[in-house]
Amino acid sequence: MNILTKKEPQAVAKTTPRRTVVPRYDVRENTDAFIVTAQLPGVDRSALETTVDGENLTVLGRRTWTAPSEWTLLHRETALTDYRLVLELDRRINREVIRAELRQGVLTLTLPKAEAIKPRKIEISG
Amino acid sequence: MKIIRYQNSPLYNPATSFTGLREEMDRLFDAAFPTLSSLQRDGGFLGEELGDFPIDLYQEKDAFVVRAELPGFRKEDLNVEVADDILTVTGHQKTETKADGKEKDSNITTQERRVSRSISLPEHIHNDKIGATYENGVLTVTLPKLEEVKPKTIAIEVK
Repeated sequence: MNILTKKEPQAVAKTTPRRTVVPRYDVRENTDAFIVTAQLPGVDRSALETTVDGENLTVLGRRTWTAPSEWTLLHRETALTDYRLVLELDRRINREVIRAELRQGVLTLTLPKAEAIKPRKIEISG
Repeated sequence: MKIIRYQNSPLYNPATSFTGLREEMDRLFDAAFPTLSSLQRDGGFLGEELGDFPIDLYQEKDAFVVRAELPGFRKEDLNVEVADDILTVTGHQKTETKADGKEKDSNITTQERRVSRSISLPEHIHNDKIGATYENGVLTVTLPKLEEVKPKTIAIEVK
């Protein structure tokens, strides 16, 4: 499912931005595309922004959980941070057809390779 | 500012956390200087190198709630068990990916990961009413506290 949106600069989040960290992510490559997998636990689809802006692909994921009104914290290991990942896109990527998929906190970005760089067989004549 | 005393936490087990004092100092340091810690650990936490996952434990009026960050699993890969006031969360996943060969049998890479953590709960809980949800990669387990048994007054006839 394609959830990529191109946002105008004015459409920024209304909430105060929290400290952001770079999520865990890795990049793999196959013949047709680069696949970026980022771990974004706690980020709902509505709290995810993926924007392509000039050279960069920016992923911003907000953790939307809020503490209940009457609670006692006994032990915390998670951090109160949001996620921000910036990737530089070079001429190898066909940015018109970038796809993003978010499932159970894992974001999979498919960055298809531009036709020009895919290996092509050259026929030998004669 | 609330200082969380990890010594009394049910998740603190001196036997397994061999770094002990260093962990404690790391945590206090992180609380005081949050920006610096993000540079050090990239949003992760100390247990991540051990293949663990972060867990929060808090209590509401009538229940304990455990939140575990386990992105990328399916519901059927997660196992939540309670025995004797100890909660165990296990995630087990096998993924097979085909390499890109178009002809013949392509290479199949199998990845398997298994994570598990146990938490001992501070109070008795009602085993039959435990609920768990898995959303956005976060597993939330709600454990209702067992109501205190009211002492029965027994009338004794004195003869």
